Amino acid sequence: MFGPLLRAEHAFPYRDGMGTPEHTIASLRSAGVVLAGERRIPVAGPLGTAIPGGGLVRGSVVAVRGGPGSGAGSVTQWLLAAATATGEWAGVVDPDGVFGALAAQEAGVELDRLAVVRGVPARQWPRVVATLLEGLSVVAAAVPPRLSAADERRLVARARERSAVLIASGGWSAEAALRLAVEGSVWPGLDEGAGSLGGGGLDVAPGARRLRVTVTGRGAAARGRVVDLVWPPLPGGLAIPAVDVGAVPAEPPGQVAV
Amino acid sequence: MTPAPERMLCLWCPDWPVVTARLADPALAGRPVAVIERGLVLSASAEARDAGVVRGLRRREAEGRCPGLATAPVDEAAAMRAFEAVVLAVEALAPRCALERPGLLFVPTRGPSRYFGGDAALAGRLAGAVPGMDPRIGVADGTFAARLAARQAAPGVPVVVPPGGSPAFLAGWPVGVLDDPDLASLLGRLGLTRLGDFAALPSGSVLGRFGLAGLAAHRRARGSEEHPPEMRVPPPEWDETVEFDPPEARVDAATFSGRTLAERLVSRLGAEGLSCTRVRVEAETEHGERLTRTWRLEGPRSSTGPGLLAERVRGQLEAWISRGEGTEREDEVTGGLTLLRLVPDEVVLAGQSQLGLWGGDRAAAERAARALVRVQSLLGTGSVVTPVLQGGRTPAERVAWVPFGQDPPVGAEAAAPWPGALPPPFPAVVFDPGRPAALLDPAGEAVMVSARGVPSGEPARLRCEALVGGGGPVEAWAGPWLHDVRWWDPAAHRRRAWWQVVAAGAACLVATEGGSAYVEGLYD
Repeated sequence: MFGPLLRAEHAFPYRDGMGTPEHTIASLRSAGVVLAGERRIPVAGPLGTAIPGGGLVRGSVVAVRGGPGSGAGSVTQWLLAAATATGEWAGVVDPDGVFGALAAQEAGVELDRLAVVRGVPARQWPRVVATLLEGLSVVAAAVPPRLSAADERRLVARARERSAVLIASGGWSAEAALRLAVEGSVWPGLDEGAGSLGGGGLDVAPGARRLRVTVTGRGAAARGRVVDLVWPPLPGGLAIPAVDVGAVPAEPPGQVAV
Repeated sequence: MTPAPERMLCLWCPDWPVVTARLADPALAGRPVAVIERGLVLSASAEARDAGVVRGLRRREAEGRCPGLATAPVDEAAAMRAFEAVVLAVEALAPRCALERPGLLFVPTRGPSRYFGGDAALAGRLAGAVPGMDPRIGVADGTFAARLAARQAAPGVPVVVPPGGSPAFLAGWPVGVLDDPDLASLLGRLGLTRLGDFAALPSGSVLGRFGLAGLAAHRRARGSEEHPPEMRVPPPEWDETVEFDPPEARVDAATFSGRTLAERLVSRLGAEGLSCTRVRVEAETEHGERLTRTWRLEGPRSSTGPGLLAERVRGQLEAWISRGEGTEREDEVTGGLTLLRLVPDEVVLAGQSQLGLWGGDRAAAERAARALVRVQSLLGTGSVVTPVLQGGRTPAERVAWVPFGQDPPVGAEAAAPWPGALPPPFPAVVFDPGRPAALLDPAGEAVMVSARGVPSGEPARLRCEALVGGGGPVEAWAGPWLHDVRWWDPAAHRRRAWWQVVAAGAACLVATEGGSAYVEGLYD
């Protein structure tokens, strides 16, 4: 007598969202149900192999740090590409107007689903970011200096409420589901006056570079790992998985323990 | 048998964009003129048409076909303002006119024709009311037939199709006039070259073979109502209203509210499975003036998004607010707007233009648009931009930043060859303009590049505020590559040398020009 009941159960999503027939997903979605598998935005390429679950958790904050030229800008663009690849919209808060759209396209961002907000006064920053989180799936924003802890907490709550992802670059002291510290990148191909950037080294594809990223976070990522990424992937879309190069130092410099 | 549609008079001013351009610049009168929209000819004057300039031609080709052709950019707002005078003259004689676009309006003739003594008399009156515009006037049952009648009319000679004569009048026209190229070409291949052939098909078969859009075209071809008569009177609670306190005198601010109203109206109707084919724009001013104007929103497939409606509202507001500028008129709008209302005048079942069943991409786009428009209201329209790639050599040149919600400008051709363009990878951080820097050789002198591309020394140090610690010793470098920018124009001529330099842990794109250097981007 439980037979039909058990079969019906298969139509409902498990927490991991595996094996759910597509038409049932559609009918559930229309009923306002958020599926477990939809709670993550999958990230392609080596970065996806480096972060726990292979994607960005909706409704969370990702903190990215790294100085100018370290590669933090590219890491942010890869995360934006993940959002636009699903057909959703991504936004960038770029007060200085320095966002490189060509590089973003190279990273896989669909430019017609990307909006950039420029000229944001520091005073308006929390309000602008909160407004963007209401409509866009992923918002990348450079955190202005001296952002109050209360504002940070409000944005964490807003992201959770709207199931959006905030990628905060710079100093973010409130809670974050994922922290990526980019420590620098190595570009093969440059010589004393010869060659060009990404001109190809011995062990990587032409145009590739190597990035070292420290990944920490909550839950499965609590232990953290330090990985080397090679980007872009080999011709043919074959991604080189992230390579673990060591454990996270006990107290990563410049990071606030979560 | 469906009842005959309402009798309509169509007033058409041909080549309205050209008329507007000539009003703006009287020197263009008598010369061949083409109005250009996004690099293509939108409208051409009779002289230019005689020389072979047709709509959709590329600008350069048009200039080749017609030497001495004067071109003007399209100015929708000016076209609307100029047409406002025509509308006022028509309204004085016949009420309830509905505009479709600047240059084209429809008037139901039942009342005015009886008053003036027949359709021909009304047409003559209207032609006399707008001197100098030589409008073409056609009268027939239904808007589609009236429009074709106006197309057939000559200046001063209106074409009046007798009541009940629309089907016979339409039968001889080619199917191309249905304004649906896909359908027309398919009908042509089926051997149905005239509207009469198409109209003779049973409507059930047309619906089965051509879908809802085909059915609407079939109704037009038969000279019956374009839309089925259900749901003709929308309830008043569907009106969208905004009140301005304090009164709003600025066009852009009022337009902004108009856009929001348009979006609300369209999304509300969309939720009901309807789309709006005629909308009434109403406004009140602080001095108690009431303005109202009706617009027909008729696409070839009656897919009416908020964009078209918002554009019509903007044009109407501009026409009202600038009405009477420079001239003393009784009907001048004297104060700021206190109220703006959009009334859906006629709605029909939405055909294929409804939201995807499960939301999907379109829903995501609309959700994003709402948030972005709110940010624009906080910071200004130009603060939210989207990147559009165009042709160019440097990373900064190759991206045009277009304010969200606006059409991209016609930029340089991206597909054209750009010799000397910087190759990928591209910098993730682009400084436009570049940040001042110093690229120094081992002796501490600025690195210069000769006209033949020979550097005066090897780069040894890069200093720039944008780098960690203000820069440092050069770890690796490549270049220089020379760009001779606008060598044909002595005033704008610049010679820049490009370098890739790794310093202070960052790979930088550096440009040098004479003795100065700029960091143009970071491969971040």
